[in-house]
Amino acid sequence: MPREHAVMPNTSSAADTIRPRRSRQRRKQLTGFLFVVPAVLLVLVFFVIPLCMAFWMSLHNWPLLGKPRFIGLDNYVSLLDDARFWGAMQFTALYTVVVTIAIFAVAFPLALFVDKGRPLTKFYRTSFFLPMVVGFSSASLLWAWLMNVDAGLFSPAAFRLGLTDKPVNLLAEFDTTFWSIVIMVVWKTAGFNMIILLTGLQGISAEVQEAARMDGASNWLRFRRITLPLMRRTIALALILSVAGSILAFDQFYIIADGGPRNSTVTAVYWIFSQSFVSFRLGYGAALSMVLLLILVTISVIQLRLLRTPEGM
Amino acid sequence: MRMLKIVALATIALGITPGAAFAQSKVTMWSRSSSETFMPTLIKTFNASHKTQIELQIVPNTEMVQKYAIAAAGGSAPDLLSLDLVYTTAFAAAGQLEDLTDLAKSLPFFANLSKAHVGAGTYQDRIYGLPMSADASVLLYNKRLFRQAGLDPEKGPTNWAEIESYAGKINALGGDIRGFYFSGACGGCNAFTFMPLIWASGGDILVDGGKRATLDTPQMRSAIDLYRGLVAKGYVPEGARTDSGANFYGGFATDKIGMSPIGAFAIGNLVRNYPHVEFGVTFIPGKDGGKSSFAGGDNFVVTAGRKNMGVVREFLDFIYSVEGQSLLAKLGSLPTRSDVADEALKALDQRYRVATQAMALGRTPTSPVYNDIINSSTGPWKQMLNEVFFGNDVSGSLARAQKTMQSILDSAGK
Repeated sequence: MPREHAVMPNTSSAADTIRPRRSRQRRKQLTGFLFVVPAVLLVLVFFVIPLCMAFWMSLHNWPLLGKPRFIGLDNYVSLLDDARFWGAMQFTALYTVVVTIAIFAVAFPLALFVDKGRPLTKFYRTSFFLPMVVGFSSASLLWAWLMNVDAGLFSPAAFRLGLTDKPVNLLAEFDTTFWSIVIMVVWKTAGFNMIILLTGLQGISAEVQEAARMDGASNWLRFRRITLPLMRRTIALALILSVAGSILAFDQFYIIADGGPRNSTVTAVYWIFSQSFVSFRLGYGAALSMVLLLILVTISVIQLRLLRTPEGM
Repeated sequence: MRMLKIVALATIALGITPGAAFAQSKVTMWSRSSSETFMPTLIKTFNASHKTQIELQIVPNTEMVQKYAIAAAGGSAPDLLSLDLVYTTAFAAAGQLEDLTDLAKSLPFFANLSKAHVGAGTYQDRIYGLPMSADASVLLYNKRLFRQAGLDPEKGPTNWAEIESYAGKINALGGDIRGFYFSGACGGCNAFTFMPLIWASGGDILVDGGKRATLDTPQMRSAIDLYRGLVAKGYVPEGARTDSGANFYGGFATDKIGMSPIGAFAIGNLVRNYPHVEFGVTFIPGKDGGKSSFAGGDNFVVTAGRKNMGVVREFLDFIYSVEGQSLLAKLGSLPTRSDVADEALKALDQRYRVATQAMALGRTPTSPVYNDIINSSTGPWKQMLNEVFFGNDVSGSLARAQKTMQSILDSAGK
């Protein structure tokens, strides 16, 4: 008991000091919360609520004209048999793999090139980044003209230079259409990826590289053992952005090729657009969107896990 | 003071009551951007001579359906609408339009209104749309190239053999001159210009009231053979293969194309913008003669729930009058009332007469899923045409398109 008595005053003084600390903490939390409120509101209004509405819509036969009718999961059952949607998904997957590899194959060397202190570095960085400031729709219109067989640049120029025996219609066959659009996308986005990768490169301490060099590590060895591992997070970011952007590709295929030739370049988003705003099946379009979102989230999670930085790095 | 209050309340009440149905003095109307050359002037002239005032809003072609549907759902749809006639049944089936049957049949000139428009405006035996503006597909040919090729510039082709033979002679002029042009990757353009080839030869695309697709017919195969032959012999420029409609009219305007099936809209455009192109206008012929046309244009429709038919009648009386029809013709639309068409056209380019006759015999396929099966860039019609004109598997393409088109027709409204 005396012992208890002995600690009583101490307990009281501890409570006295804890109370203001707690209230300070609460004030801090409140301040933090208030800072976050605008962002939370934005996410709620522009993402969570529309997402819930799209899901609700996907449970209806919701024509653009006329009254919606609740049909449960019928739209999801129908899309399992929608060969055109899965065909579009297959094409989107092919495009995503090809264009992501192509963008990295160009952006990484560019980042290494502009990382070094050399004359005109700023000029090179700006030049490589410049196509990024053109919107996708404008860039697509520009390339649609460049690729036009009669009034464009590529085909007539190749013909006049004697490289082809007649003007080649680049949009007439799948291969030429597909690769032309891949080149256009690489031209447009490689500069952006170069900047992301450059931030990763510049985050690597010069001392680490220097130490490895003094230990006799070759350029290739340093790139493989130091640069690449230390850039895991940056590469993950660039990859996720590139893959997500490619899965959602629409403008370039709609504007340049109109889904052609013969519907062979219809992407998943193009098909969703077509079902929603040409066929006026908003409910079905919403169901397709939910499935695409699910696929996109799954791929992003897998990418994050694969590229997660090992402990201690 | 009390008197003032009564007056104020009465004013408010008067302001609210008519607005619920149809404001007597002011009504709203939407029209698509392709009618921009004539609708603003037409409405301005109407407003200048009538107590009823129409407030016109031009909506981009591609946004009209979506915008109207959203406005209708939100209760802010316009009172009147000039709507692409192929959509009339889809809008009527969705319950968006007011039934105009009684009003239409009370018009003394009802029997003289464009049959194609009224047909496209009829759903389950009730009339929801009446002709507003018109365009018919015709065959344009270049008189200068005809002369150079030793052909009679006053006589266009009257059957498919002549089309092929004339195209060959014009192509033989050499350089970048080609005998024939069509937009090979455009569903809507080819509905407008390729379907009449089949109709004029006795075939059809949609039968049983638009519920059954009939793609694999002898007439369709012959028409495909005609186009395949023109392509294979090099009479069609390479760019046609991937033209999704951007050059539908521009191809002929280059002055290097012998013949091209286009719409009557091109007549005024060529006269105004390409006066150096010397051209003739003739009907789109059938395989062994005959003629047909796609009757296009807009229908006049009224949003469901607008009950004041007096205003509608006033406007219809104006657009179907000689003054209204002449004004429309002058500004670029074909007349829609046949008994005053000659008078409306008398001061105009006489080539419009062929187009007006084409309009009279023109047809319009109707279906609530027309957009889906014909106009859609991912639809079966566009894909099939591009495959059969430029590919190697005509039978396979026809079978695939028939299957897809029928499944869309079968699922309509479900």
